[in-house]
Amino acid sequence: MSGTSSRYFIALFDSVSHVLQSEKLLKKAGVSHKIVPVPREISSECGVCIRFLPEHRDDVENALAGKVDKFEIRQL
Amino acid sequence: MSEIINAKGLACPQPVILTKKALDSQNDVTVLVDNTTAVENIKRLASSSGCSAEVAEEPGGIYKIRLKKQAGAAVADAPGYLSCSTGANPGPNVFVISSDTMGKGSDELGSLLIKAFIHTAIELENRPDVMIFYNTGVKFTAQGSDTLDDLKNLEARGVKILVCGTCANFFNIKEKVAAGIVSNMYDIADTLSRAGRIVQP
Repeated sequence: MSGTSSRYFIALFDSVSHVLQSEKLLKKAGVSHKIVPVPREISSECGVCIRFLPEHRDDVENALAGKVDKFEIRQL
Repeated sequence: MSEIINAKGLACPQPVILTKKALDSQNDVTVLVDNTTAVENIKRLASSSGCSAEVAEEPGGIYKIRLKKQAGAAVADAPGYLSCSTGANPGPNVFVISSDTMGKGSDELGSLLIKAFIHTAIELENRPDVMIFYNTGVKFTAQGSDTLDDLKNLEARGVKILVCGTCANFFNIKEKVAAGIVSNMYDIADTLSRAGRIVQP
């Protein structure tokens, strides 16, 4: 699971409302993803982000493109 | 020769546990403790395990208790130990998920928070022994739930998951419960009443 391998990517957002908005968009587009806390090594703030498998990276970007302004994708 | 156990400064129930262990392999054990609760509990252990106990008070608030096994002494059943302030043999660590949201105010935010909470449970130092899902919390255990993989992971690591059957029935998801055991109020109330600690996000 998270933190033990780099099997996943995460999308980081600048606000929780963007996470909520993105979650809805990904659900609507049928892209599998998971809400997880932002890893400690990235931020100590109480944040959540969206985790997904590398093969879904394009789907995630397409689903959010033009709808959510700012997000950053990183490898876990 | 009496085996000496230094249980000074140890929190209850450690002195009893150490003494019991020593008595498993020795017939003559001397225990040093620094509080009267430990003295009383070790005396009770002595009588329940067929030992004589001689208590001597030493300078500095130290008590020296010598236990000797008596040949043919009857071994009593469970002794009534004095309760420890720290809780002897604490019950299970129980996590209660009573809702599909976390906190009050915004359910939209709350549903995000509780998913993150459930995901994190497995990495906790004080991992749950049992997780109980009731009311809208049962939705997490159903097929198609965002947290099903987390729950299966927790189960695979030995966490017992109890799902309120009445609640699953109410939400029409009884056939869809895909993690944990569909349980009833007897088991749920019994588990809650025996819990050493209850965590409710």
